[in-house]
Amino acid sequence: MAATLEQVHEKGKGYDWGFDYATPDPKYPTRYIMAPKGKDPFRVLVRDYMKMEAEKDDRVFGGLDANTRYKNADVAEPRWVEALKWAVPAFTDAEYQAIKGAGFLVSSVKNQELRQGFAAQMMDEVRHTQLETQLRRFYLKNYYDPAGFDIGQKALGNHPTGTLARASFQAFNTGDPVEVSMCLNVVLETAYTNPLVVALPQVALANGDQALPTTFLSIQSDESRHMANGYSMLMCVAQEPDNIPFLQESLERHFWHQHMSMDTLVGVVSEYNAKNRPWVYRDVWEEWVVDDFIGSYMNRLAPFGLKPPRFLNDVARYVDDMHHSAALALAAIWPLNFWRTDMMTDTDFDWFEKAYPGWHKRYGGLWEAFRGMTDPADGQIPMQALPALPPFCQVCHVPCVMPRIDAPETVVFEHEGKRFATCSSQCKWIFDLNPKIYSGCVNWWEPWHGMNLADVIETLGYVRPDGKTLMGQPHLNSERMWTLDDIRKLNYEVKDPLRADD
Amino acid sequence: MTITARIEPFGETLELKPGESVLSAILRHGKFVRYGCKHGGCGTCRARLIEGECTLDDRTSFSLSDSDRAEDIVLLCSAYVDEGEATFDVSKLQDLTEEEFHAGLQIDEYEAEVEQIIEHTHDIRTVRMRLQEPADMRFGAGQYVEVEVPGGNDEWRAYSMSNPPHEKGVVEIIVKVIPGGRFSSRLADDIRPGSRLRLRGPLGQFAVRLSHRPMIMVAGGSGMGPIRAMVHDLVAKGNERPVTFFYGARTDRDLFLVDEFRAIAAAHSWFEFIPVLSEVERCETWTGEAGLVTEAVARRFEGFRGYEGYLCGPPGMIDAGIELLIGAGCKSRHVFFDRFVPSG
Repeated sequence: MAATLEQVHEKGKGYDWGFDYATPDPKYPTRYIMAPKGKDPFRVLVRDYMKMEAEKDDRVFGGLDANTRYKNADVAEPRWVEALKWAVPAFTDAEYQAIKGAGFLVSSVKNQELRQGFAAQMMDEVRHTQLETQLRRFYLKNYYDPAGFDIGQKALGNHPTGTLARASFQAFNTGDPVEVSMCLNVVLETAYTNPLVVALPQVALANGDQALPTTFLSIQSDESRHMANGYSMLMCVAQEPDNIPFLQESLERHFWHQHMSMDTLVGVVSEYNAKNRPWVYRDVWEEWVVDDFIGSYMNRLAPFGLKPPRFLNDVARYVDDMHHSAALALAAIWPLNFWRTDMMTDTDFDWFEKAYPGWHKRYGGLWEAFRGMTDPADGQIPMQALPALPPFCQVCHVPCVMPRIDAPETVVFEHEGKRFATCSSQCKWIFDLNPKIYSGCVNWWEPWHGMNLADVIETLGYVRPDGKTLMGQPHLNSERMWTLDDIRKLNYEVKDPLRADD
Repeated sequence: MTITARIEPFGETLELKPGESVLSAILRHGKFVRYGCKHGGCGTCRARLIEGECTLDDRTSFSLSDSDRAEDIVLLCSAYVDEGEATFDVSKLQDLTEEEFHAGLQIDEYEAEVEQIIEHTHDIRTVRMRLQEPADMRFGAGQYVEVEVPGGNDEWRAYSMSNPPHEKGVVEIIVKVIPGGRFSSRLADDIRPGSRLRLRGPLGQFAVRLSHRPMIMVAGGSGMGPIRAMVHDLVAKGNERPVTFFYGARTDRDLFLVDEFRAIAAAHSWFEFIPVLSEVERCETWTGEAGLVTEAVARRFEGFRGYEGYLCGPPGMIDAGIELLIGAGCKSRHVFFDRFVPSG
């Protein structure tokens, strides 16, 4: 008689492995009491799982081949593809950190069933890293202006968006294993991968790009299982009342931090890099993050004593404004970018005003000013018009212009004799939880203090192969490109806004 | 023509609305199967089509392999029955117990003793019952129970709990006395303190959703019941979300629990209580809101974008409330309601 599914699962639980090739102890200890038994969320052995994933990979590569044949990169809106020069490497950073995170969890969790789930997830994250690298290669080879895609991961690493990504995604593998899972599986994957990997491909399609949806929808087909990993981890610890205060604090911390980075990232890319916008980011956030994550997922955890994050009101308030402010900040520092910025037009203004009533009054004037400074012949850049450069948040690394560029809630403070800034009192609270984690990173402006902007750009390597034309441009016009000489003529000196003697 | 889905191995036949996925129907009917993303991405809600026909939407292209399709594996979230009946088997793919399948309901039968009957108005009563066996019920604020009409004819009437869940071992219901009503009319007669009643529940999906949004609550008549449970539950949980509660009645002699809600409003800045009377010409001293309750709601707010609505009471009030809220910016998925239909 054939074995029942239940019998197969029971047998599967016996397939554990030893650690004769690696240290069995986790890099970081846990403060949680963890049940020795859990529920394998994947319900499939790794070997069988890999067969399924291999088929999915084949489909993606086939899809990208088709996109190449149909010259899809020529059809996609350049405003959209330019954003992918930094956004795709940022996603890849997340995947890479998640590989390390899942591996770390395999060695940390003394629970064979969860370990199976995390092992499968680790393979998934490797797959996603490879797929996204391949996606970047697709744009590099097929998009008419590949500058920036060629140095994508390295360029990102040196850019403020890269610091933001690193700060956000390093928490996938650094710290208490349960809290690593809280950050990676529960907050990022359960609350935020739907806006990122389901909603964002809709924007790609609306802007003529088929390659990103081909890749991302395959990735998303894995995410629900990763969400299940998080749920299983929570079930392993939530039944112990002593764990609940730790879990609550961890939820508060990671929910705020991931909100700052993901709502900025997805909000900017989906609205400021789109010509055609299929939805309003605020609505997407309301549906996926509030209705699904808070209203449904958190509701199931309520009986254990876990509450929705106490900053939810503030998160909702920030989501109305923060990506508008971040988009302006990125446009303002365009010479330091490794992609081209398409300034907002009157058509964009109409859409934003309808989607976010009051937008024009808050942000329209700055966009009007910025789009009057795009021609190198006029010799003006937005950075000259700023009273001071905004510091970057020491915790989440968004520019301190949040939530509204005209009314930032920046907290400037001293820690062990050094000045720091956070974007908000919430990030300051996170800093204070463990200053050691956050005080080591230099503020992005710090190394460039006193340098000519042209030298900074050259040092960063954001220059095209001709050795003089910038990768970053304040428009999409290939005939009116800015060069290092144009910038040097401005005599603009970078000043670290947190330097005490200024 | 009726469209149905039969779920094996549980032998459950469920009616589908046109265009409704099989998973949606299962959940709407209070049943449960394992599911994840609900959009064909994760493959959690796998089942095998064993009889009849269904269509799968194209969102399953990544999550179902060719061999899956060859074996008639479907995803219930993306499966639609266009006509007649289709049978789906989840036994080999979900290892779901019958208990879990029905757990969406989680109902039980209880024996309760009437502890007190409070006469609020000429036709509104609170019946306070002490549970005997089992001695406690885990329910959510907004849910209801069915109460058996004494007499053993297997007749049941539905009433929402008006007390919050943290009050252990007690079920309170607010009953509108309808002349000739099989249950309600007997409150003036043979149902009295000490009477034993049979209850079945808890039932229903009406509940406050966790979010940051301000709430507008609207009730009429005995629709006060679940809203009262929700408000007390919010107080107990330390709520901070703004709540504006409109209660509609005909005249001041139909108002009840006004002092209780005013006391909550005085103690909690997030709560506002607004009674509204539709027949003020029959009242001598009323200086509050007048007209239909939904008219008062419209007067108080410029729009409802970003709000959640909770409506409970007669169908006419609910329909007007839904139209008002959605018409002025509230998302339809953020309007929750429980229609109270008198059943005699």
